[in-house]
Amino acid sequence: MLQITNLKKVFKTAGDDVVAVNDVSLSVADGQFASIIGKSGSGKSTLLSLLGALDKPTSGHIIVGDKDITKMHDRALIQYRGRKIGFVFQSYNLVPNLTALENVMLPMEYAKLAKSERIKRATHLLDQVGLSADQHSRKPGKLSGGQQQRVAIARALANKPSLILADEPTGNLDSQTGTMIFKLLHELSRTENTTIVVVTHDLSISGKTDVTFTLRDGKLVKK
Amino acid sequence: MNVFSRGIRNAFRNSIRTFSIVLILGLIIGLSLAMLVARQAVSQKISSVESSVGNTVSISPAGVRGFSGGGNPLTATQIAPIQKLSHVTSVDESLSDRLTSSTTNLQSSIDAGSLGRRFAGNDGGQNIAQSGGFSGGNEGSATATFSPPVIVLGTTNPSDLSNTEGGGTFKLTSGKVFASTSTDNVAVIGSSLATKNNLQVGSTFTAYSTTITVLGIFDAGNTFSNSQLIMPLVTLQTLSGQAGDITSAVATVDSITNVDSVTTAIKNQLGSAADVTNAATQAQNTIAPLKNIQTISLYSLIGAVIAGAVIILLTMIMIVRERRREIGVIKAIGASNINIMVQFMTEAITLTFLGSIIGIGLGVVAGNPITKLLVTNSANSSAPTGAGRFGRAFGGITNSITSVHGTVGWSIILYGLGGALVIAILGSALASYFIAKVRPAEVMRAE
Repeated sequence: MLQITNLKKVFKTAGDDVVAVNDVSLSVADGQFASIIGKSGSGKSTLLSLLGALDKPTSGHIIVGDKDITKMHDRALIQYRGRKIGFVFQSYNLVPNLTALENVMLPMEYAKLAKSERIKRATHLLDQVGLSADQHSRKPGKLSGGQQQRVAIARALANKPSLILADEPTGNLDSQTGTMIFKLLHELSRTENTTIVVVTHDLSISGKTDVTFTLRDGKLVKK
Repeated sequence: MNVFSRGIRNAFRNSIRTFSIVLILGLIIGLSLAMLVARQAVSQKISSVESSVGNTVSISPAGVRGFSGGGNPLTATQIAPIQKLSHVTSVDESLSDRLTSSTTNLQSSIDAGSLGRRFAGNDGGQNIAQSGGFSGGNEGSATATFSPPVIVLGTTNPSDLSNTEGGGTFKLTSGKVFASTSTDNVAVIGSSLATKNNLQVGSTFTAYSTTITVLGIFDAGNTFSNSQLIMPLVTLQTLSGQAGDITSAVATVDSITNVDSVTTAIKNQLGSAADVTNAATQAQNTIAPLKNIQTISLYSLIGAVIAGAVIILLTMIMIVRERRREIGVIKAIGASNINIMVQFMTEAITLTFLGSIIGIGLGVVAGNPITKLLVTNSANSSAPTGAGRFGRAFGGITNSITSVHGTVGWSIILYGLGGALVIAILGSALASYFIAKVRPAEVMRAE
């Protein structure tokens, strides 16, 4: 269960304080596929970075499982990010000089998995997201956008996270590939029983998720 | 693959940049090593010169050098207080005299030759009269019957020839030497003199109408000293009727750094009665250019290391800025600051290691030529002046300081690699700080 209570994030600027996330409360059940929609600047990505412990909220609580991540120390947050969360970014953010296989192995290395185990699991995940064997040893520059996003999804699944956070995962893809990626994420939420939260402004996608949250000016306006 | 192998691989992500940085670092490390080679070679030469000069102060009666000049001898009373000066460890006293055919039955082992006859003529005939068989004082009319006098040295330190006219290293070939306080009628004689007069240990000869026993035979490595004989100071003073007289003394100082102060103290003690000289002052003047090179090479070395560190620092900062998003991503997927810093530090070490290989190659090739160039230029610009015994000696030292040879040994190579490591660590330090400052949330803001 992902539970957010009275979450607030204020950015200090030279002129005025900007409230990016304003008193948001929501909950997502385990294995649910949730989407957060809203216009640009509505606070979607900020909310996602708070959920992923990439940033710290000004106030409020985020409870994942039975732990409040807003009260964790930096070292515990690194472990939380590495083992409990998987990230999928709009522009894939793969390490350019590593192969697809090495990119997927990277989070497992930080989680201190044995090398043989890393290779085995990374190969399985790449197969699972539909990357052919010859593509495993390719660097991101030699893969298409859709293939790169598949690698990114495999990387997000590497440490069997309980929560996958995806920021505009289909934003850089054509509609056909975007639909395929969406289906893949949807399938994974079912097969891996992983909670997936997707930030998107693609209404065709948001309509097909289990639950959709709408943000406007940092506030949750619709569930 | 781990953080180290990723760091090494990252060093080659941009081949043009890698080549440029490695080349610049190679030049810097090569310059550092050349300076290190120069500094080491020059330091060795300075030590060699200082140790060869020794830490002694020579004292002779004012206006007298050997048997030239004129004036009055020093006395034991004048020399005694010098023993008590601070930093003076010992004082060896000596008296020189010349034995002629009227005072000894010894025959000189030196053939007069044209120079001997010329010197005899310049002496105004004094030696001629003493040696007998030579008539006339002009060089043009000198006869072949002239025989040079035999020089006798009375001393408290029979094993030291450094302060005699002939110099050389005393090597006892048979017999033994006398004690410094001996008053016996004994002598240690030069090997040439012994051969000329068929003398062996235990043989006797006559000097000052007294029978003298040969106690030992020495070889000084040169003809002049090997034609001399050495007697106990008191014995010679008594037999030659010069009781208490001293024509030369050598004060030994505890350290070469105190030679100047002791020289000044002795000058103050003896005033105008003595000429007090030391080899150390002139040696210091002679090796001053080498010391300048030592300083220059040290500063150049420090400058080169700092320049290398700055280049790596700027490079790593540039790389961190370029890969800001990548750093954010790997933080987001579970990497700690330490993981990332080690990776970047490995990258910096790889670059500097490659640079150090080029640098060591350059150091090996250019180390010696640069050292020679520095030494030759410095030595030529500050050649010492003056003559005399020390002047002649230091003419040789001046020539020898330019014969510095710099070599790149294992220690230099290890210094090079160590320096490269220091450069990499210093250069990565600020980059590491920037890495720590990258917040994983920035990867979202960059979207």
